[in-house]
Amino acid sequence: MSLTGLYVGRAVSLRILFSELRRLGYVVIGYKVVDGVLRLGELNSFEELAHDVEDIQSPGKYSLVSGDFYRHGPDSPKRFLYPPTLTLFKVSSEWVVSVPAYEERNIAFFGLKPCDLASIKVLDKILLGVDEYYTSLRKNLVLVVENCVSPGGTCFCSTMNTGPRARDSFDLAYTRLNDKLVVEAGSELGLKLLNLLEVEPIDDVTYERFEVMMRNASEKARAGFELNGLPEELELRIESKTYEEIVEKCLGCANCNMVCPTCFCFDVFDVPLIDGSAERVRVWDGCLNFTYGQVAGGHFRPDLWARYRHFVLHKLAYWIKQFGMYGCVGCGRCITWCPTGIDLRETVKKVLRGGKGG
Amino acid sequence: MGKYTAALVPLKASIARVRVETSNVRTYYVKLPDGLELPKPGQFNMLYVHGVGEVPISVSDLDEESRVVAHTVRFVGSVTKTFELLREGDLIGFRGPYGIGWPMDAAYGKNIVLVAGGIGLPPLRPVIREVARNRSAVGKLIILYGARTPEDLMFSYEYGDYESIPNTEFYVTVDKPSEGWRGNVGVVTNLIKHVDVDPSESYAFICGPEIMMKFAVRELLKRGFKTNKIYLSLERRMKCGVGLCGHCQMGPYFVCKHGPVFPLWFISRYFWVDQI
Ligand SMILES: Cc1cc2nc3c(=O)[nH]c(=O)nc-3n(C[C@H](O)[C@H](O)[C@H](O)COP(=O)(O)OP(=O)(O)OC[C@H]3O[C@@H](n4cnc5c(N)ncnc54)[C@H](O)[C@@H]3O)c2cc1C
Ligand code: SF4
Ligand code: SF4
Ligand code: FES
Repeated sequence: MSLTGLYVGRAVSLRILFSELRRLGYVVIGYKVVDGVLRLGELNSFEELAHDVEDIQSPGKYSLVSGDFYRHGPDSPKRFLYPPTLTLFKVSSEWVVSVPAYEERNIAFFGLKPCDLASIKVLDKILLGVDEYYTSLRKNLVLVVENCVSPGGTCFCSTMNTGPRARDSFDLAYTRLNDKLVVEAGSELGLKLLNLLEVEPIDDVTYERFEVMMRNASEKARAGFELNGLPEELELRIESKTYEEIVEKCLGCANCNMVCPTCFCFDVFDVPLIDGSAERVRVWDGCLNFTYGQVAGGHFRPDLWARYRHFVLHKLAYWIKQFGMYGCVGCGRCITWCPTGIDLRETVKKVLRGGKGG
Repeated sequence: MGKYTAALVPLKASIARVRVETSNVRTYYVKLPDGLELPKPGQFNMLYVHGVGEVPISVSDLDEESRVVAHTVRFVGSVTKTFELLREGDLIGFRGPYGIGWPMDAAYGKNIVLVAGGIGLPPLRPVIREVARNRSAVGKLIILYGARTPEDLMFSYEYGDYESIPNTEFYVTVDKPSEGWRGNVGVVTNLIKHVDVDPSESYAFICGPEIMMKFAVRELLKRGFKTNKIYLSLERRMKCGVGLCGHCQMGPYFVCKHGPVFPLWFISRYFWVDQI
């Protein structure tokens, strides 16, 4: 929820926000350009924050060109809050079990997009108060969100009701309208930050422009299917042959699982060390991986179509039953980062239409 | 410490006794670490072998007084095969008990039919023990058990005990007989013809390979068992046992925490779906 309503200031004052967060001791994480891709990482200066670039995304394709608005890259907040590998414990050769102490860090995400904000709300439901590492970082997490005036080619946050404008759960949300900045605060801290900026209540002309921009953005970020009734429609077609048609292109690489900001599945590995002790390490896993459903002497999903079906149904149907919300926030990453451009939006439409074989 | 990270850290437990069951199955009697609850029939524990890995294993017996819990392990893969090296006095990592077990309370006053295939007998043995201990609480007990060969039969040293439980019938079959076998031959579902009880007054508990459970369910439905009286213990890959690693999902259910024992009506939307 917005605490303040909309204020308007100058885009250059984003620098003030950044400096203040640093001054308050936060590790500020935002998008920077690394090897021609937007990566989330710690920013030591405001200049490091990606600027004057635009990401061009379409199924199976990603490139950066010069421009004035970008969305995201393959990383999502999950990478920091629920890291790809984490040591769960260590057992010495004398059977002393020790749990590593996690360093306390105060993280501020800067310029996060509304879909990724929504992904944190999804992870909260699963991990908050349950996973120690996540919970400790989440406690002091600061979320400065940038609304999307220009959704990309694989975005469908409007359909998933997660964007392109953030409605709640942020500390501060801003929208860049050329050199103007439309801002609102959603927390006490956000209010303090807002007070540092030279802002005034939004005027009618700017408000009108803001509304038009957001409406247009919203139109752009539609998937072409409706959420209403989706889980039950998909489950009614649980035996659809469409999944088999779609995976003709699938490599089973699990990129979709890895880039998805909400996929939480993990595998566990045992690492014997030279001193006779051993570590158990938690590592991201995904349902597209062959071993995911494999058991000694059998396999519950040997065929790729069954693994892909699980991905689709988990995100858009089962998640509702498990956690009371969708597991997809419409960020489009699984579409962009699929090497063969398999498009979740098209899959859903095709399954709903009945596909070739029904 | 968060509940779940803590929940993945095992407690140290020592092996009190090892019993050889068949050429590739042994039972490990483990002293339950202090602070852990006594498991109920149908629940499982996560057993960790130092530096090797962790596996879900059902409780196959329990001595409440000494808090010794039995786990009957078949050596099939990387972790279970190292169990063969474990001896009395060795330490393992232990956490649990997990999952929802057999509906003993609901079954009181009714007949119970057990259908077990292969390594599916150990998770049902605590039910047999409980009925034997509390005989008047349950009606007829019918045990149907099938294994691949006579050499694979589990707990054959105690079949006499099963048969001497009053009002109990015990049938065994093997897929492939060996020389000298004079018992039934064929799949365990062939034994369901012996189920001579009023289905509305009976519960069926099934545990075994999924394909065998599907056939057993079909036979029981044909004999008039309703989907709320048929319970199955499902198997899936498991890495956490507490509903977080995702691996054990069957449709929307996490088998480790919503199961592993489910009434059929609960899962029937998904149970028949290929590779769900
Ligand atoms: C609820 C439940 C109760 C079980 N009870 C028993 C029992 O009483 N006795 C018994 O012998 N076996 C039991 N199993 C099966 C047993 O867990 C597997 O045989 C064992 O995990 C195989 O591990 P592995 O490392 O030897 O095999 P690998 O094939 O090397 O497996 C590697 C890892 O994958 C996972 N995995 C592989 N197969 C299975 C499987 N079938 N089920 C779950 N996870 C698996 C485990 O985490 C395992 O460590 C049970 C399984 C479940 C789900
Ligand atoms: S399923 Fe795809 S679009 Fe949805 S949240 Fe995951 S990566 Fe984004
Ligand atoms: S089951 Fe698949 S889709 Fe669901 S969270 Fe796990 S990896 Fe992601
Ligand atoms: S075993 Fe990890 S979720 Fe069930």
